[in-house]
Amino acid sequence: MNPLLTPELGTYVWSLVIFLTVLFVLKKFAWNPLLDFLEEREKDIAESLKMAESAKTDLEKIKEESEKILNEAKKEGKTIVSDSKQKAEESANKILNDAKEKSNEFLDDAKSKIDIEKKRAIKEIKEEVVDLSLELATKVLQRNINDEDNSKFVKSSLEAVKVDEAKS
Amino acid sequence: MFIGEKIGKEWTMDQAPQYAIDHVANSKKNIFEFEFLNSLSEKISNFFGISADSLFYIDLGITKHVFLLFFVSFVAVSTIILLVQGYISHKKNIPNKFMSIIEMFVIYLRDDVLKNFIGDKEYRQWAPLVYTIFFFVLFGNILGLIPIFDLTGLIGKLGANAEFLSKDNVLYLLSKGGHTVTANVNVTFAIATITFFAFIFAGIKKYGFIQHWKNLAPSGLPLPLYFIVVPIEFMGLFIRPLALTLRLAGNMMGGHIALIIFITFIFSATAELGGFAGFGIAPFSVSLALGLTMLELLVAVIQAYVFALLTAVFIGMAIHVDH
Repeated sequence: MNPLLTPELGTYVWSLVIFLTVLFVLKKFAWNPLLDFLEEREKDIAESLKMAESAKTDLEKIKEESEKILNEAKKEGKTIVSDSKQKAEESANKILNDAKEKSNEFLDDAKSKIDIEKKRAIKEIKEEVVDLSLELATKVLQRNINDEDNSKFVKSSLEAVKVDEAKS
Repeated sequence: MFIGEKIGKEWTMDQAPQYAIDHVANSKKNIFEFEFLNSLSEKISNFFGISADSLFYIDLGITKHVFLLFFVSFVAVSTIILLVQGYISHKKNIPNKFMSIIEMFVIYLRDDVLKNFIGDKEYRQWAPLVYTIFFFVLFGNILGLIPIFDLTGLIGKLGANAEFLSKDNVLYLLSKGGHTVTANVNVTFAIATITFFAFIFAGIKKYGFIQHWKNLAPSGLPLPLYFIVVPIEFMGLFIRPLALTLRLAGNMMGGHIALIIFITFIFSATAELGGFAGFGIAPFSVSLALGLTMLELLVAVIQAYVFALLTAVFIGMAIHVDH
């Protein structure tokens, strides 16, 4: 018989015994622990993937919210700026008007004061002119006029002045 | 058998086939003699009423293939357990090179074979068997490709006069016979037997004893057809393990025989045509043998995968009768 196909029951029995022993030992110390480990690891991976996904959606939500907040803040800022501009303009206008009014008041005041001073000055000048003309007249005439003449002259002069005053 | 032994002796071309067969077959002698094994063999054989000169005598002696079975299972178990335990208990859980290979096979078999054919829920129960078959056969195939014992034969030849290499020495005995356990039909038949009982057990566990045997033939056929279908299915039941046995053993045998035949070209050419012809054909022979060894590496993995795959398929067929 061909030695390659000879039945060797001894080898067969040994093969069964050895294979079953190997099966038992590997099952207990290799395959079951390894399969448990692989399952656990796959679970972990799946969980972390899920977590990453939820974190992603959370992040998107947060992004949206922050954008919303930012837009609102921008709007508010704009309104604040425009409000304050308006207010500033208003107050500037007010200040300007006040200043104008005050300056007008000052001007009027000064005008009236100048008028009064002018009148007083003219009056003083007139009195001075009378005195000066009197002195001048006495010097020109080089003589003593009597009281009568004197007063006559004064009266006529005064009238002349009065006429001047009325004219002016 | 150490091939170089014939150098310098008579070599004729017609010796080559027998030579190649001797290189693959089991050793004729026991490598280790244990008295208790001999008496145990006798007792068991007597119990079954088998005489010592019968072909079916249960000889439990440690032949080369039995010794190699121990060797292969020791290497497989220690390698796998060390790698797996190291991987699981490691803090970072990063597999090293060898562990990545094991993990790749384990995950591939789980996702594409076990879950696919046996089912997402039931697969856990049968996974250890399928994995053990795959790795046992794989280690057997690959260790059979490494000519460790031809090396001991070479040492024996070169130092033939040394005391420790005499004809009764273990190293000398180990150089005789093939060193691929999976090329021995008895070994592959043993594994196929386990597959056989596994798928019968799986069916009985799922459907109960009677229903399982009823599942052999589909229900609702016309009565005469059952006379054809039932015998066919019943034969198929036994052909499955036989096919597994012969597929694996045949593949391993064939590869190794071809390998030896390619190498014997050198001796045949030397014997028939002279030394120059031997030198001329050597590069040719060796490159053929080298290519075939590469192919055998591939076949080693494929056959291990096929054996595991078919085991899973048969178990799946027993569990899922409807398809």
